[in-house]
Amino acid sequence: MFKDIVIFSSIVMISFVSTNVKGQIASSGWKEEDRIYSKVFDAPLSGKQLRKGTTLYQVTSQKPTVLALIFTRCTGVCNPFLLELKENIELRTNEKNFNILVMSFDPRDTEKDLDDLAMRFGLSEDKRWEFAVTDSIRSLVQSIGFKPVWDSLRQQYDHDALLIGINSEGYITKKLIGIRNNADLGLLLASIQDSFTPTYRMANPNMLFSCFNYDAKTGKNTPGLGLIFVALPALIAMVIVLSVNFFVRVNRI
Amino acid sequence: METLKLRKITSVWIIIVLTLFVVAIVLGILMRLNQGEIIQQSPITFYGNMTTHGLTMIGIWFVAGMAAVNYLLERYVKTSYAANLFALVLTVIGVLMLWCSTFIGEFHAGWTFLYPLPFKIMWAEWATPLFLSSLGVLGLGWLVWSISLMAQILKKYSISQAFAWQHFHKNPKVETPPFILITMITLIGVIACLIAAVILLILFFIEYFSTGSFVNDALLMKNLTYFFGHTIANEMLYLGLAVIYELFAEVSGRPKWHTTWYVALAWNLSLIFILTAFFHHLYMDFVQPEGLQIIGQIASYLASLPAAGVTVFSILVAVYRNKINWSLTNLLFFIGVAGWVIGGLGAVIDATISNNFILHNTLWVPAHFHTYNAMGNVLFSLAFFHWFSNQYYHHKERQNTLKLSILLIGGAGFLLAFYIGGAESIPRRYSTYPSDLPMGATLASIAALFASLYLIAILIFFFNISKKCLKILSSSPQSS
Repeated sequence: MFKDIVIFSSIVMISFVSTNVKGQIASSGWKEEDRIYSKVFDAPLSGKQLRKGTTLYQVTSQKPTVLALIFTRCTGVCNPFLLELKENIELRTNEKNFNILVMSFDPRDTEKDLDDLAMRFGLSEDKRWEFAVTDSIRSLVQSIGFKPVWDSLRQQYDHDALLIGINSEGYITKKLIGIRNNADLGLLLASIQDSFTPTYRMANPNMLFSCFNYDAKTGKNTPGLGLIFVALPALIAMVIVLSVNFFVRVNRI
Repeated sequence: METLKLRKITSVWIIIVLTLFVVAIVLGILMRLNQGEIIQQSPITFYGNMTTHGLTMIGIWFVAGMAAVNYLLERYVKTSYAANLFALVLTVIGVLMLWCSTFIGEFHAGWTFLYPLPFKIMWAEWATPLFLSSLGVLGLGWLVWSISLMAQILKKYSISQAFAWQHFHKNPKVETPPFILITMITLIGVIACLIAAVILLILFFIEYFSTGSFVNDALLMKNLTYFFGHTIANEMLYLGLAVIYELFAEVSGRPKWHTTWYVALAWNLSLIFILTAFFHHLYMDFVQPEGLQIIGQIASYLASLPAAGVTVFSILVAVYRNKINWSLTNLLFFIGVAGWVIGGLGAVIDATISNNFILHNTLWVPAHFHTYNAMGNVLFSLAFFHWFSNQYYHHKERQNTLKLSILLIGGAGFLLAFYIGGAESIPRRYSTYPSDLPMGATLASIAALFASLYLIAILIFFFNISKKCLKILSSSPQSS
């Protein structure tokens, strides 16, 4: 037990040192928008807790699903990524209405490799977590728009840490690239449960004509200069009418 | 009285409008064929065509209404030929710039160019400033033209007379013709929405050239976009209504319509309602104050009552149990009013907040605006074009019933596909439909077929009317 913890901790620490997490978040750009509202491929799954012949749609139709794509031989982001996900999920003990499906995109990984990974993370008995492999991984990653690149020199995949939200109808509703905080995970969980998430551009000192000014201390919005701009066209039009009338009235027939 | 110069420039407007209309219809049919999976366009081509189609249609039917109003206004006041010509030149330049930005630069942010889409460069970098500049050029020409026409009205009528306020009292000494009242109300709305466009473009350009030191508020930009977009789309209908008030009774052999207190009241109220109805485009924007959402719904309801109610009442009274000299002109006016009312009802249904939650961004939206444009405003302008060209070169036209039948069948079938799609929650602005929505592709194919029929009818009108307009253009003062 003690040996496992040491190995696990070492892997996690090495992973943190060798991974530029911030760079991944900053460069995700439009990639998170790719394949949104597309159906994910209905891949057949093999996993310890899954019945034989179970497909991805059967898992998602029971509960909306958070899909994490990793590979067990990863010396990079996969372990810290899974650890962060585990910690974030642990903070949501009251929320049971979703599954977390961890799948390997490495064809070398077997059901046993995934099972060992689940054991290492202490998740093999957690009903919300499933660890699985598929023999149709190519179709699955294509349907998601996930593009790992094999680096033969390092014998590693160069890949994003990707979390995919899939609703109960099998549609991709949200993607998160990189190791993300609990609030971002909350947005993903809301999207797979088809609930509305209001978002608004944050206050910016360069935004001079905002319709509302948000006060972080009071949590309230106050009307801003922008609202005056909404009324401005009508006011200017009125001024033009009165001005034109003033100038042409001397010539009135 | 109108001059030969005015007659010629009106002919040029008509030929340009009809030519651009044919091109824009073809773009629309290509879009529906692509959605129907009969042809394959890249998403860039589809959305480029959508941008061009939308802006071209809005532009041409606005200038068609303005040209008609300018021509008929000469019956009451002297209008400025220079302003008319200035608008014509700037419209041609503006359309060429717009088409360059979409066809060559592949700008494809849609005709509403919602912020911040124009800055998410997925096309040639120069296409964004060119697109925004094309709107600036068009807006400048139209703003000068609108202010010029309004100034000419105010040279003859005081503000209170132009608004027909004297009709609120018994036995007014001066009568404001309905045409003057509606034109004045409409021009003020046009000026307001063009100023909204000017402010919007200025804000876009400041951000574009500020390299990050100035950013816009998305909510403000959306409000301004729809102040401009919604209002101009409605005001161009009102320009068509002004033409109906002036010509319908005349071509039907009935006494000319007069302004009464309720006509004056209805149109005065229309100005307020039309300038506040655009808030209904922001129902899904949760940060918009709730009060403005409620104003949006109430104004949308009320905007339809004065103008539509009074106009429909006037038309029905004019034709009910009265001898009417039916011609292609007043038939087009009559059918156009029906199309306007049907499209207006579709709009009011969508402008109801509870319905908007279901119909928002479905095909119901293009359904209603295509109804009051393709089967409303277009028919108003076609009626004017037909009447205008027949003024000088009257030939007994044959097969009017056939022409109208093709137009009606084509138009109705094309629109029905949109309405059924909307009721089935088929989303709009999809270049192709996902396999889960097979009905979307089927309806698009059917719509393309009926739209082709509509195009055939328009081509017949185009050849008949353009032929006469070309004769007017080549006529000399003696021959006229």
